Amino acid sequence: MAITLKLGIAAGVVIAATVYMAYLGSRSSWQYYLSVEEVLRDATELTGRPIRVSGSVVANSISFSPGNSAATFQIGKENAALAVRCGGPLPDNLEDGAEVVVEGFLDESGILAGDKVLTRCASKYRSEPPVPSVKTASSQGRPS
Amino acid sequence: MILVGQLCLLFSFVALGFAAYACLLGAFRGLPRLTKIGRHCAAAGVFTLTVVVVVLVTALLLKDFQLSYVAQYSSRELAWYYSVSALWVGQAGSLLLWTWMLGSLSLVFRLAHRSHPAALMDAALGILMAFCCFLAGTMVFAADPMEFNIAGGEKGAGLSPLLHHPAMMIHPPIVFLGYSFWAIPCALVIASLCAYGGNSAAQNRSAEFVGLWVRIAQPWILMAWTILGGGILLGAYWSYEELGWGGYWAWDPVENGSLIPWLVGSALVHSLMAWKHCRILKKTTIGLSIACFALCNFSTFLTRSGIFSSLHAFSESPIGWLFLGLMLSLTVLGLALIVYRREPLRAGGAITSLWTREALIVIAIVALLLLATVTLLGTISVAISEFVIGRRVTVGPMFYNYTLIPVSLVLLATMSTAPVFRWRVAPSRREKTVFLAAAAFALVPLVIAGILGVRQPLAFAVIWLSAGVTITHLAPVFVPHWPGQQRGTGIRWWNRLLFNRRMHSSYLIHLGFVALVVGVTGSSLGSRSQEIVLARGERVGWEDRSVRFKELVQRESREKLVVEAIIEVTQGHNAPVQLRPAQEYHRLQNQWTTEVAIHSTWRGDFYIVMQADADAESVRLTLIDNPLMRLIWLGGWVIVVGAGIRIWPPGRRGKNGQQRGHEVREDHRHTLHARHLVPRDAVCERQEVLSGNHE
Repeated sequence: MAITLKLGIAAGVVIAATVYMAYLGSRSSWQYYLSVEEVLRDATELTGRPIRVSGSVVANSISFSPGNSAATFQIGKENAALAVRCGGPLPDNLEDGAEVVVEGFLDESGILAGDKVLTRCASKYRSEPPVPSVKTASSQGRPS
Repeated sequence: MILVGQLCLLFSFVALGFAAYACLLGAFRGLPRLTKIGRHCAAAGVFTLTVVVVVLVTALLLKDFQLSYVAQYSSRELAWYYSVSALWVGQAGSLLLWTWMLGSLSLVFRLAHRSHPAALMDAALGILMAFCCFLAGTMVFAADPMEFNIAGGEKGAGLSPLLHHPAMMIHPPIVFLGYSFWAIPCALVIASLCAYGGNSAAQNRSAEFVGLWVRIAQPWILMAWTILGGGILLGAYWSYEELGWGGYWAWDPVENGSLIPWLVGSALVHSLMAWKHCRILKKTTIGLSIACFALCNFSTFLTRSGIFSSLHAFSESPIGWLFLGLMLSLTVLGLALIVYRREPLRAGGAITSLWTREALIVIAIVALLLLATVTLLGTISVAISEFVIGRRVTVGPMFYNYTLIPVSLVLLATMSTAPVFRWRVAPSRREKTVFLAAAAFALVPLVIAGILGVRQPLAFAVIWLSAGVTITHLAPVFVPHWPGQQRGTGIRWWNRLLFNRRMHSSYLIHLGFVALVVGVTGSSLGSRSQEIVLARGERVGWEDRSVRFKELVQRESREKLVVEAIIEVTQGHNAPVQLRPAQEYHRLQNQWTTEVAIHSTWRGDFYIVMQADADAESVRLTLIDNPLMRLIWLGGWVIVVGAGIRIWPPGRRGKNGQQRGHEVREDHRHTLHARHLVPRDAVCERQEVLSGNHE
């Protein structure tokens, strides 16, 4: 057998195995990446599926549980918002207006049960300047 | 001062554009006076860019809020070193830094190679100036770093607290420097292939230039690869220390954006070796060198287009699409040139056996390109799925883990055999026996790991292959008469090490990769975490450690409020260690950040995150045990050091004509059959006779 053919077969095996593993990996880890509007529109269809939703936190909607181990808040716009309930470690900059990505499942009552909340790093390549606001430390429920 | 900056930016855009035009036209038409004007314009353009950088840095240091950029990213309270780092935090500043680095590097490149054919070098400089002009144009028309702050004000918004970290002060410029270095081989190869129209004389000239390209481009490629790798490593270190989630790589588009060109660059480094030693993979090498810089632009598109699912807040500006356009243009141009100049790029040799080093390199290149492709597909899965099924779909870390781990094992396997197999010659019976013995000997650490309690099949595979790589890479230095070794009898091991510096530095890079893979595997498979609430003075046992919450301390300054928990950790009979995880409130940004505390040993990292609901009497902590983390950072730095040794130029010729050192290039070490150390000149003469046009 020609060397190039042998080499081609070896490379083909590596590629085929990788494609198969990629298929297995994507099957077990894919999520819909949706906007709040899309979730509200297709809520029935999406119930129970793993989803990743991006939106900004509605002003004055954050409520921390005693001990700050969980939080409920809304993302989207005031008249079209999605309720989120999330436990576990919460990011530092979870606050009104923050851009967040929530991963979790939509339950039957239309609440997004988040496994993970990620806030976007509002630092690099930002086109809009931030508007400093005055808040007390304790108003965020943080140590004082 | 702002007016000076604005005028200089505008002038640099025009000067760089004219430099590109004059250098390219002068080089292709054979007009040396025009190229001279072009070179002077390039120098003037870079000088004025330097003035813009100086103006912006001065404004950042002096807190001159008349500049919009300073108002957005600086504040009166910001320390001077973070004020300087604000230069590359914003879109306009980062573009300015990149343009300045690329421009300066282009001039250094032209000066460093002034003894090479002027037509080739001026054409390459012209292409580099075109890239610079493109970047300057994005600043002039879309992201002006010298924009006047119309709103006024005496206070700036300040720098995000997450960027207050030493690694973040040097990570972005190093990555941009890496991107700038990748432009050099790309421009040089385009200049080589574009030489003088389409007749047969042009084909011959292209063939000559492409031959030159291999020699000139190699150190630039290695530098680009090393610097970008170092930048990526610093980014991972920042993520691990600053973001407080216990990991160092989240498969975010920004991270992937810089990893993809690095992986393709790794493939390029190896294909370049195959070209030099066996005159094969020429088209692949050319294609990869263009792809590396094209992918750097793709990375910029990812960070600035705003269409990908990422944790970074990006602006949705047209700038990103400009970079995508540049990437696509480079891809089309590269493919067209490879087809057009296929004759000079025809392979001058062939792979003679499957058990040769060049065959292994082909497999390694396939594996590296697969790693890059999988990462790319995962990154753009949102866009692909939207195009195919009309819905945006993302893939999680499992997608990457499922695919990248097996491919990395293939890489380790090829690496373990590389020092035993030779260029162009199938292994002898003795070499095969030695290789099998090494594979068998590598089972020893496997047995030890089993006895110590390792049970995961993946861990066994990694340990076996890593032990194999370590044996086959260290044995040629320490074991006399090992295959692949200079056959000098009575040579001490340190002499053997110096005898072939370049080959051994490559081995060092491989060993660094092994350390990195072992660290990644250990920290991924063995990581454990636990959330606990501790009352003041309370002690709990976790894993093999005892953790005690001593007290909560509060410190206050003008900029921030720091709430720090003092945690005492005792492991075995060792003395207790005090760790201080904290929460910091940054007044200006009205933002809390988490400061983790890490106790690092060779066994692993003990990582503590303090949650937000602490009070004087109790604290909620997340405890994370990340085994073998030090090996990741060690491996990364060993790779960087190994690459630095590889790049370091050989010793200069002494007064009496003797070379310093006794280095023999790896190219033809097996054909020399030297029985003793011989002076370098004699070796080189024999090599030149044997090798023809090799370096």
